[in-house]
Formats: sequence, C-alpha cells, structure tokens
Amino acid sequence: MGIVTSILTIIPLILLPAIAYRVLIITDPKRNKPLRHGRQNAQEPTHLLIVLGSGGHTAEMMSMLERAVTDPDPKLKLNWKDYTHRTWVVSSGDSISAQRAKEFEEMATPLSTQDHLMAGKVKKATDIGPGKYEIVTVPRAREIHQSLWTSPVSSLQCTLECWKVLTTHTTDTRDGHLPQAGKTDFPDLILCNGPATSTILVFTSILLRFLNHRGCSERHKMRTIYVESWARVKQPSLSGKLLCRVVDRFLVQWPQLEKAVGGRAEYLGMLV
Amino acid sequence: MSQKTCFVTVGATASFTALIRAVLEADFLTALQNNGYTELLVQYGEGGKQLFDTHSKTAINAAKDEGNEIKISGFDLDKAGLGRYMRQAKGANLGAGEGVVISHAGSGTILDALRISVPLIVVPNADLLDNHQVELAEVLAEQDYVVYGKLESLDKALGEAEVWRKKQRQWPPTNSGVHRHANGLKGVMDEEMGFLD
Repeated sequence: MGIVTSILTIIPLILLPAIAYRVLIITDPKRNKPLRHGRQNAQEPTHLLIVLGSGGHTAEMMSMLERAVTDPDPKLKLNWKDYTHRTWVVSSGDSISAQRAKEFEEMATPLSTQDHLMAGKVKKATDIGPGKYEIVTVPRAREIHQSLWTSPVSSLQCTLECWKVLTTHTTDTRDGHLPQAGKTDFPDLILCNGPATSTILVFTSILLRFLNHRGCSERHKMRTIYVESWARVKQPSLSGKLLCRVVDRFLVQWPQLEKAVGGRAEYLGMLV
Repeated sequence: MSQKTCFVTVGATASFTALIRAVLEADFLTALQNNGYTELLVQYGEGGKQLFDTHSKTAINAAKDEGNEIKISGFDLDKAGLGRYMRQAKGANLGAGEGVVISHAGSGTILDALRISVPLIVVPNADLLDNHQVELAEVLAEQDYVVYGKLESLDKALGEAEVWRKKQRQWPPTNSGVHRHANGLKGVMDEEMGFLD
C-alpha cells in the first residue's frame, strides 16, 4: 500500500469520529445554558427567532403564541417583553404570515406593559420599551408538494439566506468573541413548528455552532424548540423526523405521538 | 323563522370538489331544511366557482320544487380569514340561531372553529395522499370535540351535530393528569433561555 493511499485512509478514520463527536456535543440538550441575571435586563438583551411557514404552520404558531401571551394563569403567561429582539422568518411571497406577525406584535407588547402595571410594577412598565422586531424573508426551500431532497438548488439558496438571517446581528470584530453589553446578538432561542424552511434554518444553526462561528457555540446561543403540528396524531411529519435528534426540545401535542417518536419527544398537553 | 347558517369551507391549498358536490345534493338540502337551516354558505376555493355555480343553480331549483326556501351563496377565498363566516354560523347576528360549520380537516380551520366553539363537522379529503388529516379528525371526534363527517352521509352528520351541540366540550382543554403542572410553552421557553426565577 502506497503512502498516499494510507494517508487517504487514515484521514477520514480520524476526522469522521472527530466530526461525529463534535456534532454529538453541540446537539446535546444538556449542554450549558447561558447564565442570566433576571428577565428584561437591559444589559442582557435577548433574541427570539420564530419561523413561520404557510397556511397551517403559521396558523398553529400564531395560535400557540396568542394562547401563551393571553393565558389567565400567570405561571403560564408569556411576557412578550422578556424577548427584547424578535426576528420573524417568513417565506418569500407569504404576505399573510408577515401580516399575522405584525398584528401579533401590535397586540402582545401593550399586553406586556399592561401586565406590569396591573402587578404594580410601574417602573418596569414605563422603563422597558417595546423592544424591536423585524420580519425577514427567505426564499422558499421547496414548493408545496415538492420533496425536500429533489430541490438541492433552492435548498442551498435557502441555507445561505438562513445563514445571513442568523448572523445578521453579529460582527467579526469582537474582542475574543465576547458579546457587547446591550447589543443584539445571535438568536438565543429558535422556535419553529415544521415548515421546510425551519428544518433548513435549524440545520444551518447547527452548522454555525459546529464551526463556533463568531463564538456562538461557546456563548450558548441558538437553542432550539420544535413543536410538532397539532395535526400529527400518530406519526411525526418529515420535518419532525429530520429534527427529532438534533433540536433541544421536541414538543408533541398528542400522548400517542410521544411514544411513537421516542427519544427527545415530550408531551406537555396541547399547546395550540 | 330565525336565521340559521351552515357554513362549508374547503380551505385554500387543496381543492375538494367532492365536498362542494356533496353539500349541494338534494338529500343534504332536505336535511338542512329539516334541521331548521335558512342559509347555506360555501367557501369553494380557487377554481371551484364553475362547479359551484352550476351545481347550486340546479340545487336551488330542485329545492324550490320541494318547498325548501334555503338561501345558497358562495365565495372563493377571503384573505381576511374565515372568522366572519364562522361567527355567522355561530349565530352572532341579531336574532340568529347557532348553526354549524362543515370543514375540510385542515388544522388551522379546525382550530378557528373550536376557538369560537361553533359546532363543527370535519370531513377529511380522501384525495390527499397523506392521511394524517384523517387521524386528527378521528381523534378529535373520539374526544367529542368535533363530529366526524363522511361525504356519503353528511345529512346524518347534520343530525348528529344537533345532539352534539348540547354536550360540546370547552376549548382549549384544561391540562389534566400528569400534565396538570406542566408550564406550557412559556415553561419550556424559560427553561431553554435559562431564566431562573
């Protein structure tokens, strides 16, 4: 065996386990979480990214969020201002989803202020602004009914756009990758529920963490929550099958599906 | 007679001509009359106009011969959503009684109807390859949230909806059992963010 062949055999033998090990580490839900000092801390901005699909996906996501921010039980009630920056990702041409996101923002932020006032926290209600939100579009990963893997070109374009979306608030010039106090950064949390775009976005976030791009992995950015569609009772969707081993939380809405998926799947009641 | 609306929706993405045909059949129109309905409103989707127009014309004429004065109208899509029509079926208009919604098994539409708690008959579209919509309709019918409608016996489903109206379950369901203490979406988001309070 020539020296070239042996090198060619040895390199993958060393590299592949190294890559696999790295992937296992960065997709382990038990990896460290960032240390935070309370909610709505101006020194520690938070960034939530939500992926909307079309039709049913958007309807379910909005229903879930509306239910969470209006829940009568304070323990279950989501305070929208806990997230100082919200990025909504919609597919190009989907003006309805963009409109729903805008309507939600206009409803949820005053609600949060109102909560603080009702609780007698006047300072919190007046000092903390509504935060910022942006609606960004990415090209469709695939047309409806087109399979995910027959569309490599559009998927690649979508991946590049997702990369841009995820890194848009980061810069290369940070000293030692430390976050700058008070500045928006990588998303802290990615919330999605199954459109093809969300699958690509989650895999892009894993790639970024794999490369520790701009320190995102060591700063514990981009934790992921996937909510399987309420319409999935017995079998997960394609996106669910692809993501169930790599997202940090995999929420299902029917008890029988928790068993069918196994692994990370959790049933915590209906969420929509 | 007070207004009572049956609102039929086929959704926006896939065509469901079989449902449009089924609700314009003579048997179904008679069942509507027997259950006191005064209005049939159909969202027939893109490309459903021609089918709806031809079938509704014959249906109206046939109904008149039988002394059935039901009003039949339709539209293709409404970008503002179906909330307005669902509320009409709920009986939100002054002096109107509660009617029914007949819908394809899309999760968004089902949710909309459940949220305003209007009686709902779900008819899965057999033409779709993926049958998860059937599973959703079955499990919801099992738990008494909706009535499962079959295309060939919609008139029967209409009668079931009248009985079901009285035992309708509230939405959203309250968590029970082991999930009573689950903190929902907020709880999971807090845990992932590392909010410690």
